[in-house]
Amino acid sequence: MKQIDFRNDILPLKDVLYRLALRITLDSAEAEDIVQETMLKLWNRRDRWDEIDSIEAFAMTICRNLALDHQKRTDSQHASLDEVETLLSTPNTQSPTPFDHTVAHDRIEIVRQIIDTLPEKQRTCVQLRDIEEKPYKEIAAILDITEEQVKVNIFRARQTIRQRFAEMENFRVTST
Amino acid sequence: MDYKYINQLLERYWAAETTLEEEKILRTFFSQAEIPAELKPYQSLFAYEGSAKSNEKLGADFDERMLAMVGEATTARKMTLRQRLMPLFRAAAIVAVILTLGNAIQKPFSDDDNVGNIVGIENIGEGVSVAIHIDSATIDTMRQSNLQMKGEELGVRRQETMD
Repeated sequence: MKQIDFRNDILPLKDVLYRLALRITLDSAEAEDIVQETMLKLWNRRDRWDEIDSIEAFAMTICRNLALDHQKRTDSQHASLDEVETLLSTPNTQSPTPFDHTVAHDRIEIVRQIIDTLPEKQRTCVQLRDIEEKPYKEIAAILDITEEQVKVNIFRARQTIRQRFAEMENFRVTST
Repeated sequence: MDYKYINQLLERYWAAETTLEEEKILRTFFSQAEIPAELKPYQSLFAYEGSAKSNEKLGADFDERMLAMVGEATTARKMTLRQRLMPLFRAAAIVAVILTLGNAIQKPFSDDDNVGNIVGIENIGEGVSVAIHIDSATIDTMRQSNLQMKGEELGVRRQETMD
């Protein structure tokens, strides 16, 4: 029988789950609550762990579903482009040298915001692929879609990111 | 520097055609300091992806709270200890069964009439020469191949008569 305990098998998942919940809810406090709920749920089902191939994938599925439930209640689907533009027009992004530290940091922030403007499925796919480095197969299992659909979501997401990023670049150039 | 390859990878990246290994190559490339101007814009994207893992995380106090909530953390460990002993018990039981079977199998080879253990058989073996010597007169034909078996029989009979 598989010996699993909370400390060694569930707790280490906290950061992966947090990032996923954060990506979906866009709220760190809520994300933390969701991770808590996810872990408690996992723990309560521990008598059925033997039936599961990957605890991590299972945990992420629970986490995502909980996050989506929260979303339905709060109605905040994704970040808006306005927020991204505000970020661009604040003073410290007006630096003359494009790639010094503060600006680089802002650019990273911009990327995060752009990803946050994507529809949830695309956002989650990007999160799981580009940040958590999961194979398409696992992402498909977590989202309960086909691998082909995962690829389509990633494709659309990356095209959007590329486009918006270029737009932001132009915006930055024209506004200085 | 071979930027052509990187550009190819980048095109595949936008098309969602890259493998995890290729994406890793892109990430590593963009984490360098020296990047050609035309590729520099994408640096933030890959830099973000690389940094997200280290920037977004929960603190140690989260661990404390979770463990307190779960509460059974200690009982879980106790349970696992007992559960860890179970396989040992099972193994011991299997060994016991094997030993019992082993003993049971040996039983046909050991009769009460016969000194059936290995030492006994050796005695019988020794008894061969004695038996043959004494009974050689009563045995007309004795072949070498039969020697052992006959000797055993004679030895047995000899033991019986002695008892």
